[in-house]
Amino acid sequence: MATAASSTPDYFTRKVSTGRIRPTLSGIQNASSPHTPFNRSLSSFYNSPSSGFRNDDENNVVIELGSRFMRIGMAGEALPRCIMSFGPDDHHRVGDYRQWMPGYNTRRKRKRGEEWGQDHELWRNDVRELDLGLVEDKLERAARKADGEVLMLDDRKKRLTVILASVIARPLLSVTLSTLFNIFQAPSITILPSPIACAASSGLRSALVLDIGWAESTATAIYEYREICQRRSVRAARTISEAMAELLDEECTAQAKGPIEVSFEEAEEVLTRLAWCKGNGDDRREDESQDAPQTILLPLPPSEPSTTLEINFSRFSEPAETAFFGENGDISSYDAHDLSLSRLLYNALLALPVDVRKVCMARIVITGGVSNIPGIKARVIEELKLLVKCRGWDPIRNYGKATKRANSNPRERNDNTAVRLESNVTESSDTDDGTAEESNELHQPAVAAAFVPQEQDPILERLAERAAKQAPPTVEGRIRAVETLGAWAGGSLMAALRIKGVVEVERESFLQHGLAGASKEKEVSSKAAQRQSLGPGARSAGAERASWTLGIWA
Amino acid sequence: MAQVFPYTYYSCPCVESSSTKPNAVQSAPQEAAPFLEDEEENTFDPRSPRANFSLYPIEHLLYCTDCHQIRCPRCMVEEVVCWYCPNCLFEVPSSTVRSDGNRCTRNCYNCPICTSILSISSLEKPTEGLTPNDAASDAAKAPGGPYFLSCPFCQWSSLEIGIQFEKHFNLTSQLQKIIRGDTHRLGSVTDLASPRGEEMEGEIQGRASVASVEDTAPLPIQGDTETLFTNLYNFYRAQLSELSDANPYSLSSDYSFASPSSITRLMNLYGSGGRTKKDRPKPIREAAEFSEGQKVSNPLSEKENIDRIRSVGWEGTASVEQRLQQCREDVGFVDELRPLATLLRTKKSKRCKICRQILSRPESKVSTNRYKIKLLALNNIPKITMRSLNAQPAQHPSFPMQATAPGSDEASTLKPLVPTHFLLTITNPLFDSIKVTLATPSTTPGCVKSKVTILCPQFDVGANTDVWDEALSSATDRSSKRQSQMLSAGPDGGSLTGIQAEAGKVWERGRNWTSIVVEVAPGSLPDSIGHVTLGDDAQGDGGAALDEDEDVLEIPIFVRLEYETEAGGDDGGAAHARKEDAGKEKREEAFWAVLGVGRIAG
Ligand SMILES: [Zn+2]
Ligand SMILES: [Zn+2]
Ligand SMILES: [Zn+2]
Ligand SMILES: [Zn+2]
Repeated sequence: MATAASSTPDYFTRKVSTGRIRPTLSGIQNASSPHTPFNRSLSSFYNSPSSGFRNDDENNVVIELGSRFMRIGMAGEALPRCIMSFGPDDHHRVGDYRQWMPGYNTRRKRKRGEEWGQDHELWRNDVRELDLGLVEDKLERAARKADGEVLMLDDRKKRLTVILASVIARPLLSVTLSTLFNIFQAPSITILPSPIACAASSGLRSALVLDIGWAESTATAIYEYREICQRRSVRAARTISEAMAELLDEECTAQAKGPIEVSFEEAEEVLTRLAWCKGNGDDRREDESQDAPQTILLPLPPSEPSTTLEINFSRFSEPAETAFFGENGDISSYDAHDLSLSRLLYNALLALPVDVRKVCMARIVITGGVSNIPGIKARVIEELKLLVKCRGWDPIRNYGKATKRANSNPRERNDNTAVRLESNVTESSDTDDGTAEESNELHQPAVAAAFVPQEQDPILERLAERAAKQAPPTVEGRIRAVETLGAWAGGSLMAALRIKGVVEVERESFLQHGLAGASKEKEVSSKAAQRQSLGPGARSAGAERASWTLGIWA
Repeated sequence: MAQVFPYTYYSCPCVESSSTKPNAVQSAPQEAAPFLEDEEENTFDPRSPRANFSLYPIEHLLYCTDCHQIRCPRCMVEEVVCWYCPNCLFEVPSSTVRSDGNRCTRNCYNCPICTSILSISSLEKPTEGLTPNDAASDAAKAPGGPYFLSCPFCQWSSLEIGIQFEKHFNLTSQLQKIIRGDTHRLGSVTDLASPRGEEMEGEIQGRASVASVEDTAPLPIQGDTETLFTNLYNFYRAQLSELSDANPYSLSSDYSFASPSSITRLMNLYGSGGRTKKDRPKPIREAAEFSEGQKVSNPLSEKENIDRIRSVGWEGTASVEQRLQQCREDVGFVDELRPLATLLRTKKSKRCKICRQILSRPESKVSTNRYKIKLLALNNIPKITMRSLNAQPAQHPSFPMQATAPGSDEASTLKPLVPTHFLLTITNPLFDSIKVTLATPSTTPGCVKSKVTILCPQFDVGANTDVWDEALSSATDRSSKRQSQMLSAGPDGGSLTGIQAEAGKVWERGRNWTSIVVEVAPGSLPDSIGHVTLGDDAQGDGGAALDEDEDVLEIPIFVRLEYETEAGGDDGGAAHARKEDAGKEKREEAFWAVLGVGRIAG
């Protein structure tokens, strides 16, 4: 089940091994009656929240933390109760009411030396240039505000579930935990990896989760609730936001509205409201709806009297094109960290063992803020289908003259080979038997990987047999996308069902030792749990919490 | 910043003991922290991004009389005393908050477009505009017929999204029914349809045609999200209970795999080997269809949305803020926004985080603003104010806080490189006289370096005794000589060369206040021609244009107080207090303050 080591950026203090399978979650459900009818159907907005299954002696809070937003709410509800942002307007001094003053100028210049949108970030994973104190300040204020003005919980004990990216720098994890412990005064915090929460909120046990985040997009393969492989690309929300700003700048200049620099907020507004994504090779859409207006009027740039910018509707699909799909430029200089979204998915699938792949490919879950841009999901899937159709599941993209390829481990080359669809067939035909065989496969690439005969693994076979007996027929071997309610909803479900994660941090021991207090062995708590639950009596409260672990965040 | 000049901010000392310090594994670059390490004593940098989080106007601060320290919201813990709706002012019991959530369950709704309070009107007599609760109270007068919510500001109406009410009270339950009915409709449609392929497409088209009919509410998204979530929850729940039914004694017969609903079992495929099939509990399966919470993506709905954006344009799409308000990021269009029940508010009591002393406790009645306890910093910490010496106060000097007319642009615009004198006044709220020591870095931190000199950094401020004492005694130390000098300087006098503020001398003194002179030579902005005093960091960046508010002159001042007071009886937590004989006790307090003086002219 080993997969290729993921390409982790150098800033992680330890290498994250995604090559082995580990239990990510384990736990015991509280012995509440499993038959309590679930009788709510609306969120707290409409005032019939989860009383049906909310445990009455504690407040079950679920927090999802990303680099730009914090979603926070109560377990068992479909929607978070609030979404906090980390923009400059959230970071004024207390008593500074400028943003509510009439005539407050929202057009903000970028500060010296700041990257695009940097002042809207809570953190970035590169902690070398990060002021952790500032991260704490921001997080503290947002969490305090959410707690005091939105949740407004009574003084019952709080149970906290925090959903975090599965790779996060340790100092950030440390700051997050200490701040949340400090504000919520919770006895313990459960940490859930967001890809698993996403899978849970799409009803899946295995999935390939594409999370288009702010700073990077990650494709995480999950098999039976375990993360088994992760691939990342820097093409993410920041890329498309910048592309949108460029487009707007261009249009402003072209329409002689003066060379204004579009602010981050303006670009984001336009991106959220108007951006869309074309289908693959789909230019016919232009003529499709003749009756609909072809241009859109934007109230930009803001001025008195108000001016408008008239932009062709099709232009709003360009940022997505360049940010997520464009593979322009020299393909040989193609950066492994700069993969288009479809290729990112393809690479992640390619790195999976065949039987896992056939399950995951039928369970592609696309999430992240910009995945709501209409057309993106469809496009990613279309392109992925095309890639698979053209290429099959041969990890080698270009054999070139390499006759030694039979000896080399194909996995090592996953990420660094260039895309050259047409040439690889011809070039590889003049080599030895093995290659010829391979090239035959290349000639019939339409065979889906799942049906390519592969080595028989008796154990897996037996497992599959068993699974087939128990589970209803499952969809496998074809590419299919499944909707998710998002990581927060997944966390909300799991917290409401009282499913505990492996990573449960105890307040006392954390405050005493920090992250260093975590047991080094990643799986200690699941093993311990197994041992301890030999019988109901064998479980002593003291021993139960003797050690905790950081799990995949170790 | 962006406050009316001059202003004073106080820095709560709790940042220094912030919790990240001990746990921070990696060393963060220190120059970003508000305390610069360059001098032997740390200097507070009001420019640092962190400073915004530790500076407060004094009105926002409380004071712990046990710890003898300022307490900011960060170093207080809050407890909810009561919940109430800010619109109808009804108190909501905690049990209701628990069961019904954090929003008003009466008839208070906010506009989804502009967030103002919606009013309820009758379709029969559309002119009648009543607030929901008025309508509820005098039901007899209210007109009949279907009602709707409308916004008095932006003219939004619930009719736009197809919501109308039969009764003008109990809107919440009616709205629930409307939404639930909608959910049911969608749910049943989807239940029948297989979630795959053509049938799905057919369903989407069917829904679109339903939505186009005028009288049905186009509310698909919320219904979908909620239904999906509910289905999913029920599915998991059923799966988990199936498991526990299958193995009622599993706790003792098997390892944790058998404990009900352990997620270990949810994913038991890779569980420990060596167990026979019989022992192995059945893993829960994945959701298979919409009724179980699984929904296969449909590219058609995305295409539909694209066409919709094209036809509705900018105005028809929901703004970022509106989306965040609804907490639904998948909402795309204005007509998918719904009225939001008004968020409740709370009254809270506040305690010191260190010693748990109650710092403030409001009266629990919603209608009053009174507090049973409120330990204001204002009553315990000297108030520091600053004003230009040029601007003549019209008021009696005994009330120095009311000095200059606030916000007069002229007074707050500073000429670069021209030394200007400011009057710094410290007012003592304590009943003991205090000894004040001020310190400030000679040049202000940041890229515009201004020179600051406190002419008299050490002085006493009298006790806050009875006001009549002052009135009766003529012994205020106000010197008439200086008074006349000030007048002679005139309002136009840019420089004060005529009256020399003497170093080491107090300028003016009152009963419980003392004024001293601070000389400030504002630095010049990097853009201005001639003398450019750029900071090192700015040069590194090529001295680009200034960032927001970098032209504001803010002076960090370290304030240290010493005073003797009656030894408090149970004064346990007095870190700064030293017992002396004769029941007197010496106290020391210290904090940073930031004085916003004005904007430097470019
Ligand atoms: Zn504080
Ligand atoms: Zn109300
Ligand atoms: Zn409105
Ligand atoms: Zn205290």
